[in-house]
Amino acid sequence: MLLNAVIIIVREILEAAMLLSVLLVILEHLGLSARWLKGSIIGGTAGAIGYALAIVPISGLFDGFGQEIVNAFMQMAIYGLLGGLVVTLGARQPRSIRHSPGRIIPWIILATPCLAISREGSELIIYISSFWPEATQHASFILGIIIGSSIGISIGVLSYFALRSLSGKRLMPVAVTLLILMASGMTSQASLLLMQADWLPTQMPLWNSTAWLDETSVAGQFLYATMSYEATPTPIQAGIYLAAMGLLILLYGLVRYRARKRLPGVAPPREIAT
Amino acid sequence: MIPLHRRWRIAFLLTLLPGALVGPLWAWAATPVITITIRDHLFYPSRIEIAAHTKVKLMIINQDGSAEEFESYELNREKVIPAGRKAAIFIGPLASGAYPFFGEFHSKTARGTIIAK
Repeated sequence: MLLNAVIIIVREILEAAMLLSVLLVILEHLGLSARWLKGSIIGGTAGAIGYALAIVPISGLFDGFGQEIVNAFMQMAIYGLLGGLVVTLGARQPRSIRHSPGRIIPWIILATPCLAISREGSELIIYISSFWPEATQHASFILGIIIGSSIGISIGVLSYFALRSLSGKRLMPVAVTLLILMASGMTSQASLLLMQADWLPTQMPLWNSTAWLDETSVAGQFLYATMSYEATPTPIQAGIYLAAMGLLILLYGLVRYRARKRLPGVAPPREIAT
Repeated sequence: MIPLHRRWRIAFLLTLLPGALVGPLWAWAATPVITITIRDHLFYPSRIEIAAHTKVKLMIINQDGSAEEFESYELNREKVIPAGRKAAIFIGPLASGAYPFFGEFHSKTARGTIIAK
């Protein structure tokens, strides 16, 4: 019971913890307030409670595949938001010019964890609420929740400090790379859900990398939480993942190229307007 | 009078039409359905044999008073099934082998395997 609770909590928290740590680093780098993330945690918790309460009607949507479709939609929304963040970060001027982060970045940073936490948190809430009536195992259950949360949060905090320890020049490229990996991972997870619901064709897996990195191992779980590592992806899943990643890399490269072309020391008109 | 190239186009589309209607029906009708019941935090049956390389629809009925989450790393599937509800999950096509699954909320007892032959 204790171990089960720990494992479930860690798995659900890990993905959100990694996302939050990268976004917090970006917030600080841009000189924005951390309350944007605090707001997203509160919003995400409210969303998770709402989703958990509505799980029965949601599951009934789309011919009984409501969970899959709604979750896939949320994951694609996260992909879009993180993609927007990547592009907005890339469109910033070269480091020699001071500028404001703009109005859209804080809202993306608010919305993204909101969606992620609503999705992952709802499972946690359903799990906790279904075990709460079992009074005999309360102590080990609560202990498991505390231990699991601590482990998940610790890993998030570690990654935060690891990112922050990077020198100024390397920080943004690493953060953007992590964002692109996380965003692309969302599309892979979404495609899996759509296959589960028979909205996408199912196929034999392209390969099986379990011998190299088992999904059930600690490292495998960590890589799954951060970049949706899959040991047995299908061709469509891999294709969607690569296309999603390719699109973000292309867009980022495009905006960086256009940003660099502008002369240093000359503020473009839209900066003056803000 | 309908020009020749348009006649060919119409004929081509007409030949596609029955295929387009029958195709999805064929696939839908051919998907085998296997029912799994969750009772007292156990899966019944816990050992299921299916044909390899075939898409299969699992119908999971949760007869317990609390929710369960059907999950499998090997099958890459996970779904919450609320108390007293049933849910469908599509799996496959699978290569021959054993694919364990479990109930995440009661992973010690709720365990099963799908054998693809």
